[in-house]
Amino acid sequence: MQYPDAIAKLIESYSKLPGIGRKTATRLAFYTLGMSEEDVSNFSESLKASKSDLTFCQVCGFITSKSDNPCVICSDPSRDQSKIFVVEDSQDEMAIESTHDYHGLYHVLNGVLSPMAGRGPEDINVSSLITRLSDHPEVKEVIIGLNASTEGEATTLYLGRLIKPAGIKVTRLALGLSMGTNVNYADQLTLTQAVNGRTEI
Amino acid sequence: MFLNNLRLVNFRNYKELNVAFSHSINVLIGNNAQGKTNLLEAIYFLSMGRSHRDSNDRDLINWSAKSAVISGEIESRTARYPLEVRIEKGGKRVLVNHLTENRLSDYIGNLNTVLFAPEDLELVKGSPGVRRKFIDSEFAQMSSNYLFNLLQYRNALKDRNAYLKNIKWVANSPKFDETYLSVLDDQLIKFGSAIILQRFSLIQTLEAYAREVHLAISKIEELKLCYITFPTVNEQSSQEEISEIFKKQLLKNRNRELFLKSTSVGPHHDDLKFLINGKEVGSFASQGQQRTTALSIRLAEIEMMKFETGEYPILLLDDVLSELDGKRQTQLLDFIQDKVQTFLTTASLSDIDKGLIKDPKIYHVKDGVLIND
Ligand SMILES: Nc1ncnc2c1ncn2[C@@H]1O[C@H](COP(=O)(O)OP(=O)(O)O)[C@@H](O)[C@H]1O
Ligand SMILES: [Mg+2]
Ligand SMILES: [Zn+2]
Repeated sequence: MQYPDAIAKLIESYSKLPGIGRKTATRLAFYTLGMSEEDVSNFSESLKASKSDLTFCQVCGFITSKSDNPCVICSDPSRDQSKIFVVEDSQDEMAIESTHDYHGLYHVLNGVLSPMAGRGPEDINVSSLITRLSDHPEVKEVIIGLNASTEGEATTLYLGRLIKPAGIKVTRLALGLSMGTNVNYADQLTLTQAVNGRTEI
Repeated sequence: MFLNNLRLVNFRNYKELNVAFSHSINVLIGNNAQGKTNLLEAIYFLSMGRSHRDSNDRDLINWSAKSAVISGEIESRTARYPLEVRIEKGGKRVLVNHLTENRLSDYIGNLNTVLFAPEDLELVKGSPGVRRKFIDSEFAQMSSNYLFNLLQYRNALKDRNAYLKNIKWVANSPKFDETYLSVLDDQLIKFGSAIILQRFSLIQTLEAYAREVHLAISKIEELKLCYITFPTVNEQSSQEEISEIFKKQLLKNRNRELFLKSTSVGPHHDDLKFLINGKEVGSFASQGQQRTTALSIRLAEIEMMKFETGEYPILLLDDVLSELDGKRQTQLLDFIQDKVQTFLTTASLSDIDKGLIKDPKIYHVKDGVLIND
């Protein structure tokens, strides 16, 4: 006995999502059958729109709708045009935005350098950053906010070496203890970095 | 430092074992293939989070089981707490005092061990790789900083090699990003130079101990240890000087490396030489001299660990006593009695001069079961 085509295909689709196995996919598919007509069509519209309406901002690489390209931040003249914050992906940009403490521009690399994963400089959004900097001499500071991993570190050094010779200030986020961490619980890597990055009070 | 007891569940041929140990000498007697080495392997694993044999973690799980557990209470001058390792087909977990330690590098150092097996002659006679492995695993136990630099260096090396492999050749010339390769170079140099610097100083300390032990055993011969790295680097070089030389070597070998697609210079190619009265032990010494050298190095290691960590490590001797002549057995036992907790395996007590061992605790090993004498 086989499931009807429509359900089988739905199960197949759900199981393509990360962390979802056959069983959960089946449960979700049957749940979908019980949803209202309207909810299901909204759901499928949003799914489709995520492909048809979205693209990467031609200026900064942030995820944006095709009708807003350049993205909202790149088109906002009230943002501080002298700073560019470099992040790995759009989710990181959203995290920085939600602090409401930064009012400059962004640049999304959509990846970090990782030879092990076969990602070199030409596979991430770097050349557009360099073009952007040479087209916009008003940029005075590039802030690099990549993950504190070996790859993030190499990418940070790489960007520093490309950008600094142009006389632009390059800064990076502080590495070290997170709020609420006890010094004696922190692992060695974190402690070493916290000691190296200590600041005067 | 002492291991008070050991519990094994489905480790190798031990289905279930609970045993208490003596703080002095524990003798494991048994025929071949009964589980003597397996027991030492379990203790070593509890110490280092890996096997001393070239085996996969999953080979350690009893054939009829899905997971294995090794646990034991360790006692130092200042503390007493359990260590535990759980090995599953998909991976392993290490726990200190019932809490999971996320990094193996933070786990290592809780229980320090020195292992001496017949293969140790390889330390003197074998390839440079054997000696590098020795240097790295001993120094990593003594210095968490060394271990940190070592792990970072290995990552940097993997990344750099992967990048070299990925480089495409177009019309007989390699297409690569000069700036990026220089970043990869610098990461390699940063940790590599730190490792070289630390090796010089740690080997110097090891040599001082080894020379003393060796002289005591041989009476007349002078043992020297010589760390072989970049020819123009020596024990007086600063980290900056080492970095500069490393960088020059990378630049000099650039074309070769682009062609071979791997990193050809650095501390992952270094070696350690042993000299007796100025002659290299590996190629010019007698079998007896080679054994004495290997033994001296292990004993020196014990003293050095005591110096670096404040505690004697525990000593694992796998089938080595029977390989030593009476004189060397005496030297060894004199050295460890009353200070180092020892686990030694042997096929029969008649191979050993029993009078030498004060108050040993004897266990008979048979088919994965321990019987207390
Ligand atoms: N994963 C395993 N499960 C069950 N038995 C094992 C496993 N690995 C090895 N053995 C058994 O352990 C024995 C070897 O034990 P070992 O400690 O090396 O012997 P010895 O006493 O000579 O030192 C062999 O009989 C081998 O079959
Ligand atoms: Mg054995
Ligand atoms: Zn944008």
